[in-house]
Amino acid sequence: MSVEVFVPAADFTARALGADAVAAAVAAAPGVEVRRTGSRGLYWLEPLVEVATDAGRIGFGPLDSAAARALFANGPPNVDHPDCLGLVDELPWLEKQSRVTMARVGVIEPLSIAQYKANGGFAGLARARALTAPAIVETVTDAGLRGRGGAAFPTGIKWRTVLESEGEPKYIVCNADEGDSGTFADRMIMESDPFSLIEGMLIAGLAVGADRGYIYCRAEYPLAVDTLAEAIRLAKGAGYLDDFHLEVRKGAGAYICGEETSLLESLEGKRGVIRYRPPLPAVKGLFGQPTVVNNVISLASVPAILARGADHYRSFGVGRSRGTLTVQLAGNVRRGGLFEVPFGKPLRWVVEHLGGGTASGLPIKTVQAGGPLGAYIPPQHFDTPLDYESFQAIGGMIGHGGLVVFDETTDMGAMARYAFEFCAEESCGKCTPCRIGAVRGVEVVDRIRRGEAAADNRVLLKDLCHTMIDGSLCGLGGMAPLPVLSVMTHFADEL
Amino acid sequence: MTVDAAKLVRMAEQITANMAYTDDVELVAARVADHLNRFWDPRMRQAMAEVANGDADQLSPALKAAVRQLHGVAGEGAL
Amino acid sequence: MNLYYRVGAERDLGTPAVIANSAAKGGAGAAPTVNVEIDGRSVAVPEGISVMRAAALAGANIPKLCATEDLAAFGSCRLCLVTIEGRKGYPASCTTLVEEGMVVHTQTPRLAELRRNVMELYISDHPLDCLTCAANGDCELQDMAGAVGLRTVRYGYDGAHHLDKPKDESALYFSFDPAKCIVCSRCVRACEEQQGTYALTINGRGFDSEVVASQNDAFIDSECVSCGACVKACPTATLIEKSVIEHGQPESAVITTCAYCGVGCSFRAETQGGQLVRMVPNRDGHANHGHACVKGRFAFGYATHQDRITTPLVRDSIDDEWQAVGWDEAIRTAAERLQAIQARYGRKSIGGVTSSRCTNEEVYVVQKFVRAAAGNNNVDTCARVCHSPTGYGLKTTLGESAGTQNFDSVLEADVIMVIGANPTEAHPVFASAMKRRLHQGAGLIVVDPRAIDLVQSPHVRADYHLQLKPGANVAVINALAHAVIDEGLEDEAYIRARCDLEAYRIWRAFISEARNSPEATEALSGVPAAQVRAAARLYAGAGNGAIYYGLGVTEHSQGSTMVMGIANLAMATGNLGRPGVGVNPLRGQNNVQGACDMGSFPHELTGYRHLSDEATRRLFEAEWQVALDPEPGYRIPNMFDAAIGGEFKGLYVQGEDFAQSDPDTQHVYAALSAMECVIVQDLFLNETAKFAHVFLPGCSFLEKDGTFTNAERRISPVRKVIAPLSGMDEWDITCRLATAMGYEMRYSHPSEIMDEIARLTPTFRGVSYAKLAELGSIQWPCRDEASAGTPLMHVDEFVRGKGYFAPTPYVPTDERANARYPLLLTTGRVLSQYNVGAQTRRTGAVAYHREDILEIHPTDAQVRGIVDGSWVGLKSRAGETVLRAKVTERVQPGVLYTTFHHPESGANVITTDNSDWATNCPEYKVTAVQAYPVSRPSEWQEMFHRFTAAQQQLSEQALSEA
Repeated sequence: MSVEVFVPAADFTARALGADAVAAAVAAAPGVEVRRTGSRGLYWLEPLVEVATDAGRIGFGPLDSAAARALFANGPPNVDHPDCLGLVDELPWLEKQSRVTMARVGVIEPLSIAQYKANGGFAGLARARALTAPAIVETVTDAGLRGRGGAAFPTGIKWRTVLESEGEPKYIVCNADEGDSGTFADRMIMESDPFSLIEGMLIAGLAVGADRGYIYCRAEYPLAVDTLAEAIRLAKGAGYLDDFHLEVRKGAGAYICGEETSLLESLEGKRGVIRYRPPLPAVKGLFGQPTVVNNVISLASVPAILARGADHYRSFGVGRSRGTLTVQLAGNVRRGGLFEVPFGKPLRWVVEHLGGGTASGLPIKTVQAGGPLGAYIPPQHFDTPLDYESFQAIGGMIGHGGLVVFDETTDMGAMARYAFEFCAEESCGKCTPCRIGAVRGVEVVDRIRRGEAAADNRVLLKDLCHTMIDGSLCGLGGMAPLPVLSVMTHFADEL
Repeated sequence: MTVDAAKLVRMAEQITANMAYTDDVELVAARVADHLNRFWDPRMRQAMAEVANGDADQLSPALKAAVRQLHGVAGEGAL
Repeated sequence: MNLYYRVGAERDLGTPAVIANSAAKGGAGAAPTVNVEIDGRSVAVPEGISVMRAAALAGANIPKLCATEDLAAFGSCRLCLVTIEGRKGYPASCTTLVEEGMVVHTQTPRLAELRRNVMELYISDHPLDCLTCAANGDCELQDMAGAVGLRTVRYGYDGAHHLDKPKDESALYFSFDPAKCIVCSRCVRACEEQQGTYALTINGRGFDSEVVASQNDAFIDSECVSCGACVKACPTATLIEKSVIEHGQPESAVITTCAYCGVGCSFRAETQGGQLVRMVPNRDGHANHGHACVKGRFAFGYATHQDRITTPLVRDSIDDEWQAVGWDEAIRTAAERLQAIQARYGRKSIGGVTSSRCTNEEVYVVQKFVRAAAGNNNVDTCARVCHSPTGYGLKTTLGESAGTQNFDSVLEADVIMVIGANPTEAHPVFASAMKRRLHQGAGLIVVDPRAIDLVQSPHVRADYHLQLKPGANVAVINALAHAVIDEGLEDEAYIRARCDLEAYRIWRAFISEARNSPEATEALSGVPAAQVRAAARLYAGAGNGAIYYGLGVTEHSQGSTMVMGIANLAMATGNLGRPGVGVNPLRGQNNVQGACDMGSFPHELTGYRHLSDEATRRLFEAEWQVALDPEPGYRIPNMFDAAIGGEFKGLYVQGEDFAQSDPDTQHVYAALSAMECVIVQDLFLNETAKFAHVFLPGCSFLEKDGTFTNAERRISPVRKVIAPLSGMDEWDITCRLATAMGYEMRYSHPSEIMDEIARLTPTFRGVSYAKLAELGSIQWPCRDEASAGTPLMHVDEFVRGKGYFAPTPYVPTDERANARYPLLLTTGRVLSQYNVGAQTRRTGAVAYHREDILEIHPTDAQVRGIVDGSWVGLKSRAGETVLRAKVTERVQPGVLYTTFHHPESGANVITTDNSDWATNCPEYKVTAVQAYPVSRPSEWQEMFHRFTAAQQQLSEQALSEA
């Protein structure tokens, strides 16, 4: 009688930490059946090996191959082993989460349709097939789902626009170009629960009348690309894609292609450069046709909404931020990883209680929320609830849910400089404020830091920031000044 | 006669072949004659008439009939 | 009338006007309007335009750099931001469309600040050499910096920049200086949207973004076709004409019409102190809408080339030296000699040939000279060798010797069929319009023995390429029509309402015969039957099917038949009489349509009225006060035959170079040599002038007032930019010659000639210079004062009443491949050269095509031991010449191809006297030849070089004195 042992060898980060070698070691042990799953997202514990017991799955980690060999020398260890972490589901950092979208990540083998279905998979699709298109749209609208890519636009309203737009064919495009530093939620879904994305896209197709879709995945996620391709192949074989043509397409190293219009340009085979809006992609998108462009998490959340009902999803969250947020905690943090929590939890709770504060042990100086274009949140704002409106009110943003932690040794002036550097590096180059402004921004910051006419240059810097905010063609130039201004506001003595 | 007779015959036969979508010789001849009358200088028509005068059998039946309908040539209508 | 007709600078409203799609909106008419408020002023503007354009129309010029009304809005410079009540932020006015009730503010303190800050960023990466820059005075960056009140660049000039980028001066006519580039992308967009070549792109991203040609190549090595659209679009000195760099800014402009091809682009001839600096396409040009090609745009240097002859020349025999003489003596000599010839050989022993490059007025007076002063109808024109079958074929079937549409019609076509034409080379500005429609998804069928660019090139791919063998045209058009009838795809309702039913019955029986089926013709045409049927379905099934054709249709022994076959197909499928359809001959020369309209035919007077029509003859006799010969005269080939026969002895040649352009060169040489008085009126001592006894220097288009008529029947004004170098207007030469021959001809201005034409020609009755000045151009028929012309013909009924289906039996040409001459040669043109090259070879553009090249398929080359670049001997039953080979798969096995732009190529030594049965249009497109490797020029070429050298010597003395 073999015991099931779960090793996260389907997750890129876990593999980087040695999960393959651990899997090999465990597989060599007697009485063991290895299941290669994704990661639970508790990365400080990875590689985290889970052993099935009657009470549930117990965890051991972080392991390396030597430790794994030793642990499994005489067959699978049990809960009494001194290194046992206990029941994984009862680990405080997991128990306190609300795993709605990430429910199956780290639990199932990603490419097993049987396990997917046994864990609630394709129930949403079945439900959607019984509804009319407007009814599907209404369900998603009622659930309050907002785009998780960062724009936070109500998904249901976007779908309704596409449904009501004239033109054939229509497309579903999944934005899997997760480019924000310190983010990995999209990657986890694609590598560890790819069928949830496929199911979400199929439901979207039914909702708007689209029979074809593309997943635009950044090239820096090769495992995700391969996993998705294989998942599509399996889904096709199982008959799920009889009425829907689905393909994965790779990006080519441009952060800006995470912006939806640049993404569409790139998908069409052109340079990844911004298109002006309106017209919105919902009306005139891929090849000029009505197109849904949604983030991976947005689409992967849809099956649960259909399966369990809008009310269930809506029951999480606060105010106008309904549902769960897949927080990605990274940087100088003790416990970095994926924390899916309802909207509305205080920032401090996530960073300190779940995250455990800095890895260095030094005080937290700031947290950058929402990616490289997000403001640096000062400690006085750490009690702000993690919801869209509250963060906007303090001049910050939730974005894709990335939180990067910095300790007190951080040079905020250098961080401000980095914002411009990043913008200059990733600028598509179409509009003047970003193309030239980002470069000038770096130069002006350098002059201030060198003490050259600092007062005048600070005025110039603010002027430049507001010019870019008001004048840029897209959010890259439009938001790159936000971290800079946050430094000038909250860490004024460092710039 | 100074215009190259062989060339004229060749051109006239070419016109005839292109007008001959029907087997009705008289119909074709009428069309050919109309074309020559409208577009050929009288001296060219005269030269054609002289060729027909000399040896009409070297011409195709329709062309032979057409030459009889040329205007402005000596012996017009007489052949 | 004024000698100079000046216009001011062109206004740019920022974004394009909305083109009302007449089909979509159920007919042309005024577009609906919306009411908006701009800076407190309420205006009604057309629906669908941008806020920027609306503001410009309302008098508020919003600052802009990346916007120009020739191109779709781009939204990148961020200068044109405005505030709109009810919308947050600062939307770009160029990409924002007007809406009913919109309230816009184009000037606020914050907008002013934003614009200044954006300009500050631009100037922080731009050279500061305005005062010595070639664009000084005509630079939009300068204008905007001034407009926004930029005073300082707080960033200083020590930061990152692009000022060290090297210039690319490889392009013949313009310079590229990337140090001045502001990455507005107007050049890239112009190359995409206006020209359709896609030669330019932005390389890199962010601050590293740079404009490059092709794969970061020098312009001269890239895919750039030198149309100059990018140069016009560029707001700075980055892309600028070399002539402006050299001469400085032009200060004055005259609107005139190009003298190259039958598109007839309207240009602004921009001058500085009486010298032409540059030609800029006129945005208001009705044929070209602001676009041009390398020739009209840049290759005008021939007008002032050192080869220009400006004094009259005479000599007794062609072996004598030319003598420079005054005008009076030259004209008297010419008149005396012609009269002497008539006295000795008869009234009909002389004739004239009008030029298809001269104005309507100049052509009219030459045919009047022949008819009234010389007293015969021996007048012909170059249309003889190009589109005379069009005249015959369309007159017979539709009732008018001209195309049925205007160029804009292509923008509404659903399926385009191109037969025997290569528009991207020969009618480039029209081809760009066609490509615009193809990019929108229109279907494309190409019928051509060669894989021309339209078959496959960037963003263009033909749905079907019917790659037929030369000589099989009529078989293929019959097969297409057969398939239409066979599969029941004809438009019965249209045929019943609009066409002669008896003729249709006869034609239908004929076309349905098995011998006309795709299956029966497959072997001889080389086109698979399935392909023919599929193409027929595509054309017949389209909402709007349009056919465009060129010399690959007409220059065949069945040219007229093929034209009729095309008209039959269009009538059978109901594709006539509205926008987006039609039968469209792509006329080659700038005024070949006009030359034909002006009655330059031995059998027709102006407006295509046959001499036999008594009423017309009487009208002319009354106006001209002379009796007219009612019998047709000689065509050019007949003139040559008669010359060799000893009957035809004198010829007045206006702007035509038979010795290079007509087929069977040796026959042409013999004919010209046999004449006693050849008068050549031209710009240069060309090939025909080698056989001339009197040379009368003509005027280039820059030196004339007059009109040209393009392939759309569009009459456009030609205006003097510089005074005639010879001191005499060209129409005046002819008038004086007529007067010297005893027939008084006198006008004080070309407008009087047009008035006379209008009096005599019903289709021109409403044409006048005043109306032309008012409307810009007029498409005939223009039958009365009130008429503004006729864009589309045969709308309610055909000109002849009911459309006539003419049976078109396939008669194979005599020119067939045989054991001795197993290959078929066909000829064509390239973009950079024009016709015989007389003009373009005397400009920088000759660098693009220094010799005519022979294209040969690899299989044919291999068996003969011919390699790329080697010399090839070409022999036909007419003669022999030598060309350099290019081994390529663009031609099919068994077919060779070359161009005829250089006289020493002797391309026409090879072509034969085969011609169209109805019009004698030479069969340039099919010649049976053999090819073999050689190591030296042909005998004819060696003779040619000797002859050329000798004639050059004979003119040296006279020209050095002049």
